[in-house]
Formats: sequence, structure tokens, C-alpha cells
Amino acid sequence: MLAKNHLQLITYKAYADLRSEAAKTIMGFLWWILDPLLFMGIFYIIFGLLMKRDTKDFIPFLLIGLVTWRWFQNTVSHSANSILGGRGLMHQVYVPKIVFPLVIIITDLVKFTCVFSVLLLYLWLSGFALNPAYLSLPLVLMVQLVLIVGLTLLVAALVPFLPDLKFLADHILHMLFYMSGIFFAGSSIPERYQAYFYLNPMANLIEIYRNILMHGAWPNWRALALIAGLGGVLTLLSSRLIAWNDPIYPKWIPQ
Amino acid sequence: MTAGSPVLTLRNVGAFYWRRTGYLKKNRFWALRDISFELHQGESLGVIGRNGAGKSTLLQLLAGVLRPDQGSLINHGAHVALLSLQIGFVPYLSGRQNAILSGLLLGMSRQEIEKKLNEIRDFSELGDFFDQPINVYSSGMKARLGFSVAFQLNPDVLLIDEVLGVGDAAFKEKSGQMMREKIRSEKTIVLVSHSPGTIRQLCDRAVWIDNGTTRAEGNTVEVLERYSEFIKNKEKPG
Repeated sequence: MLAKNHLQLITYKAYADLRSEAAKTIMGFLWWILDPLLFMGIFYIIFGLLMKRDTKDFIPFLLIGLVTWRWFQNTVSHSANSILGGRGLMHQVYVPKIVFPLVIIITDLVKFTCVFSVLLLYLWLSGFALNPAYLSLPLVLMVQLVLIVGLTLLVAALVPFLPDLKFLADHILHMLFYMSGIFFAGSSIPERYQAYFYLNPMANLIEIYRNILMHGAWPNWRALALIAGLGGVLTLLSSRLIAWNDPIYPKWIPQ
Repeated sequence: MTAGSPVLTLRNVGAFYWRRTGYLKKNRFWALRDISFELHQGESLGVIGRNGAGKSTLLQLLAGVLRPDQGSLINHGAHVALLSLQIGFVPYLSGRQNAILSGLLLGMSRQEIEKKLNEIRDFSELGDFFDQPINVYSSGMKARLGFSVAFQLNPDVLLIDEVLGVGDAAFKEKSGQMMREKIRSEKTIVLVSHSPGTIRQLCDRAVWIDNGTTRAEGNTVEVLERYSEFIKNKEKPG
């Protein structure tokens, strides 16, 4: 377990990094909203206008997928180099190495919170009202967080030993981006492939989010429980892995 | 802890780094092979050695950054910190915020740091700059801030690498003087240097290491004499 001082360090470092990042640009904090808006704008132009599909409510359908996917992708991708990036610090003071990926998880969580709030606002304004299924939303968000933490810690733990994994991880993420049903519904793919499609936790989560936010439908509890279990096991194993390698990282990572 | 009782005990300590030497190949590089000495409460111990003797690795071991791969290092309950400048500074944040961050990294709690912030500001002589982002600081001002944080947080054992005094000339004198005071006081200090002069001036006892191995330990004058003799012989051609 992390000591109280280390928890203070993690939260303060996350706060410091966010402040510093915002101060680098003229528009500062606004970029946390603007950046994803521009990103989504591109997909809106391409898929919402140019390649307009007949699917009803395609824009909210697309945005829910993009926003929740981006949270997942950004955190995993950013944290891949987190322990390597701590080389300057870990050779000067003793820092539990798990601090480095945890800081990234927090900063990306804060940014996601901003974007997700904007998404909810957009949905409410375009007629998708609050509904009873929203009660399950915090739980779904928690499950995705657990999944993100598990994968993030795993990638962060391994990259210092296998730096090439960083490139591989980015490509796998890119592939999953197209295979998580951001642009299409799971029901629209051939039936014999659907079982494989739903092996991807993000595909399930994105569908669950859409069901809650757009259709007022309750989540698929079984899928949710399985994802939570997977995330939990990954988190446990990966944090053990990082703790176990804690004294070894400074030996591997050149100053 | 009473004066004279052991704070850190090193027995035949060795430590290596992994060096990647090719595709899926790695090598152990032993930076320290056989280091033994004891650090006592309240003393100033000088560690002398040539470049590449393993001094920096030794400091990392003492600071708890590295663990020994052979032998034993016993910490008898002291908080050991490396006096390094600008630990973990983040650009665009104020001096105050960076002081808090540095303090947290050095293992203090937020509350402990808050109590010392005024002392840190006064000691650093930054004045109003303390609340301005550090990217407007000169490198000397940054060094002053970093030094003040590490100095005011007051660990049980202070590890000092080489250079005494930082920043511009005036602050250099002040920080150098403060450090000398601290070294001469009851504070437990390990000072690492390749210059016999600094160690002779400041340390009660000395350890000479070469090639990752303890060559001598004891009275400063005697250890330095043997070290100087060794250097002289090395420099002689043939």
C-alpha cells in the first residue's frame, strides 16, 4: 500500500502537471475541451456529413463512442512511457514507481471529466433526456476506470524492459479504435463474427454507454461484471508486477 | 539517536546496473564491488575517489534509490536525502508550488512543507519571485530555490555531491557557509568529492573508494595521504 505522503505526492503532481500544461498555451484549460471538440469535429465532417449514413442519430451515436474511447486510448498510450519518463526523479529520490502511471491516470481522468460533461450537455440539448438508467452510469464509468487502470499499469510496467512494446501498443490501440464499434453498431456486423466482436471490452462498454444515454436502457450486467473482473485482476497483477520490479527499474533505466 | 551511534552500516556492498548490449542481450555492470564503512550520528564523512570510482552510485545506495545486490546496507532508522538542486521542478508553476512538489518528492508530508514555506522563501532570497512561475527565473534563482527546499527540509542524513554552494556569487557564499555550518554542527553528513581540499576542510572522517571498492577508511588526514600518494603514483609515467 502507498503511504499517505505518496498519495499526496500523486495528487499534487497531477495538479502540477495539469496547471503546467494549461499554462503552456494561451487558451490554457480551454484546450481540454477544444482539443477533443476539434478531434470529434473531424469525424463529424467525415462521417456525419460527407459519408452520411442512414443510421438515425448518428452524431450522438458517434460522439459517445469517440469520447469514451479517447479516455481509454489516451490514458493507456500516455502512460506507456511514464516509468521511463521518471528516470530523472528515480535516480535522485526514492519514489514508488507506481506513482508515475497513477499521475497520468489522474490527469487523463480530469480531462475526460471535462469532455464527458460537455457530451452530456450536448445530449441533453439535442433531446436525449435524463432517464432512470443514468443511475447505472457512475458504475459503468467506474468499471471503465478499473479496466483503464489495469491495462495502463500493465503497459507501464513492461515498457521499461521492452521499449518496443510502446510502438506495438499504439498499433494495437489503433486497430481496436476501428474494432470497438465507434462508427458502427455491433448488431450491424455479420452474426457469426459478433461473438468475437464482443470479446473486446471497449466494444461492450461503448454499447452500454449508448444504451444508457440514448435509449434509457439498463446495462448488460453480465458484460459489466466480466469487464470489472478483468480490470480488477489486471490491476492487481500489474501493481504487484510494478512493486516487485520497483528496485529493478533504476538499474534498467539509464540516467 | 545519541551521538556516535551508527546511522548507516555498509558491509561488503556491491551494486550493478543492467546494460543493454544488443538485441535481447544484457550485461551486468558492477559500479560498486565491495564497499564497507559505517556512518555515525553527528559526524561528517567524506567520500573521496577518482571519477568513475562509484561515488554517484554510492550516493544513490545511501539515498535508498538503489538497493545493494550483494552485502548489506543497514539503515538504523534515519531519513536520508540527497541534497540535489531542482528535484522534480515543473515549468510554469510558481516557486511556492515547486517547493511543495520538491518537498513531497523528498518524502515530507504536505503539512510539514506548508510550515516551512516561509523559511524556504526567506532562505532562497527570491522575494516576490517566490510566487511567480519558475520559467521567469534565472538558472541561479532556480538553484537557490532547489537548494533552499532541500536544506530547510532538514533530513537526518544529508548527502552532498561535490559542489559546495550554488547560484550567483553572493548566494554561493551564503549557501557554502550554511553548508559548512551544517557540516560542522551535529548534523550527519556524507560529502562526496574528488578534491582532497574540500574534504580535509570539512570532514571528521573519510572513506576512499576506487574501482567500486573501499581502499581506506578512518582519520581524514591519513586517508587523504594514502589517496594523494596513490594519485601521484598513477600520474608517474610508467
